[in-house]
Amino acid sequence: MIIQHLELTDFRNYVSAQITLTDGVTAVIGDNGQGKTNLVEALSYLATLKSFRGVPTEAMIRTGADTAVIRATITHVDGREVLIEAELTRTGRNKVLVNKQKLAKSRDLLGVVRTTVFSPQDLNLVQDAPSVRRNFLDDALVALWPKHDALCSEVERVLKQRNALLKQSGGRLSPDIATTLDVWDEKLATHGTQLGDVRAQMLEMLLPQVQEAYVELAELNEDQTPVGMVYAPEWRTQGLARCLSECRNDDVRRGSSTVGPHRDDIELSINGLPARTHASQGEQRTLALALRLAVHRLITTEIGSPPVLILDDVLSELDPHRSAALLRHFPLGQVLITSAGVLPKTAHPDFSVHIAGGTIRED
Amino acid sequence: MNSAYTPPMQALIDALGRLPGVGPKGAQRIAFHLLKSDSVDVERLAHSITEAKALVRFCDHCFNFSDGPICRICDDDRRDSSMLCVVEESRDVIAIEKTGEFRGRYHVLLGAMNPLEGIGPEQLKIRELLARLDTEGVKEVILCTNPNTEGDVTAMYLARLLKPLGLRITRIASGLPVGGDLEYADELTLGRALEGRREMPG
Ligand SMILES: Nc1ncnc2c1ncn2[C@@H]1O[C@H](COP(=O)(O)OP(=O)(O)OP(=O)(O)O)[C@@H](O)[C@H]1O
Ligand SMILES: [Mg+2]
Ligand SMILES: [Zn+2]
Repeated sequence: MIIQHLELTDFRNYVSAQITLTDGVTAVIGDNGQGKTNLVEALSYLATLKSFRGVPTEAMIRTGADTAVIRATITHVDGREVLIEAELTRTGRNKVLVNKQKLAKSRDLLGVVRTTVFSPQDLNLVQDAPSVRRNFLDDALVALWPKHDALCSEVERVLKQRNALLKQSGGRLSPDIATTLDVWDEKLATHGTQLGDVRAQMLEMLLPQVQEAYVELAELNEDQTPVGMVYAPEWRTQGLARCLSECRNDDVRRGSSTVGPHRDDIELSINGLPARTHASQGEQRTLALALRLAVHRLITTEIGSPPVLILDDVLSELDPHRSAALLRHFPLGQVLITSAGVLPKTAHPDFSVHIAGGTIRED
Repeated sequence: MNSAYTPPMQALIDALGRLPGVGPKGAQRIAFHLLKSDSVDVERLAHSITEAKALVRFCDHCFNFSDGPICRICDDDRRDSSMLCVVEESRDVIAIEKTGEFRGRYHVLLGAMNPLEGIGPEQLKIRELLARLDTEGVKEVILCTNPNTEGDVTAMYLARLLKPLGLRITRIASGLPVGGDLEYADELTLGRALEGRREMPG
């Protein structure tokens, strides 16, 4: 899949701009604060329907405007051309049109465009709270199998409802609350267990890929397996239904759900030591890159064509050795690399665009 | 943001904006349309709203919309009393009636379990449903709540409640878009879903 044309209206600092893209490597060059990240953020929005910076939709609408529009033409491997138009509104009622036909649900767009984004924030994958790793795994799930988006939002919805019910109980488990809680728990147990199963399946598929990517990026011997990645929440061994009933009194007292897939973590380690607390900066960064690269390769093999690869400002942070290793090890399709300075020689772009104050100049 | 409209205009836009399915832009558009329209037409609209509000009420029996104390379906003795279809809203009765697949009777819950909106079993017409089961010779209850989170949980709650009474409890088959609303399903899909209903565990 190739993005051929992108048009932005009132998106971030772009009033109105467009760019024609090709297969191969495009360098996006410009000074700080000119709109490089904004440009690639728009592209990845079409893949995930959210910002990769983890900000609400509103932040992506140009200050002073009511709606932002991202319009893109993409070509699939089989030559099919698709026109996608996404309208972002401040009320959150976003609209998506595919070939001028309005989608019943915007989320039906998932799977049409696929992107892999590397950004300096990826270090969070190793350093931050469990939610970041959980989201990473769920994002990979949805990117690979878009139908799981419905499962993720179902679990989220049930949890919201269950927590609302727990708050209403006022800390007291009356018989009425108990019978109502029974059905919410059954619903949570069913879908939560399904989510746990697919997360475990995803992790199992990812681990060898992460292992391989780490070894390549760190230039270790091929037979080494330094990376550990464990997804083993306690509720999965005991059964979620049982855990929910055991925690019921606690949950009622606290007014929130203390056990379930919303608290899962993936434990990352390097050479047997927890990566968050023991690994060096460089090792952490390499591991974060390996996680992204692994998903990129997994999708490439499963789908049969690589996602559009976006490297936002990451090359500048790597030593020349590693940035060369990174670029060498990619299944390359369409690539966009942003940079505020000159690109390392190993990047050799086919094409460059210059960004200044929300305008795009193609060379 | 300061309003650019005169107070009565802003009041109209605000009131329209609170209607389901109408966003701020839609509210603006409708308001402009109304103000440009003939006053006769606007008065006719206002009149039909107040009249409907005054004359249409819930059926005492099944809580469907009705123009009298008992609705037409409850009043029709050709309908099969042994089958009772439980739905969330009156609009679902209309959707199912359009399929022509169902000749039993209805019970409208007037909502679904939704703690976020403060709706629990007590806020729904469940007690009234139990009372009907006692007296009307119902043999099968078909749970036709929406195929979304809240509708599913409501169906599960009812199944647990009704199973011990020895009735056949079925749930409308999916094939309906998950996360959807009954009223948006086309007649064919909804008719098939009704035919393919399945036994509900209690
Ligand atoms: N909603 C918005 N409306 C208007 N301007 C915005 C909006 N959001 C961000 N901006 C502006 O966009 C500008 C460019 O941001 P962007 O993150 O794309 O810069 P960049 O080119 O990636 O810079 P750097 O090299 O520092 O990463 C920022 O100066 C910011 O103030
Ligand atoms: Mg940037
Ligand atoms: Zn009636």
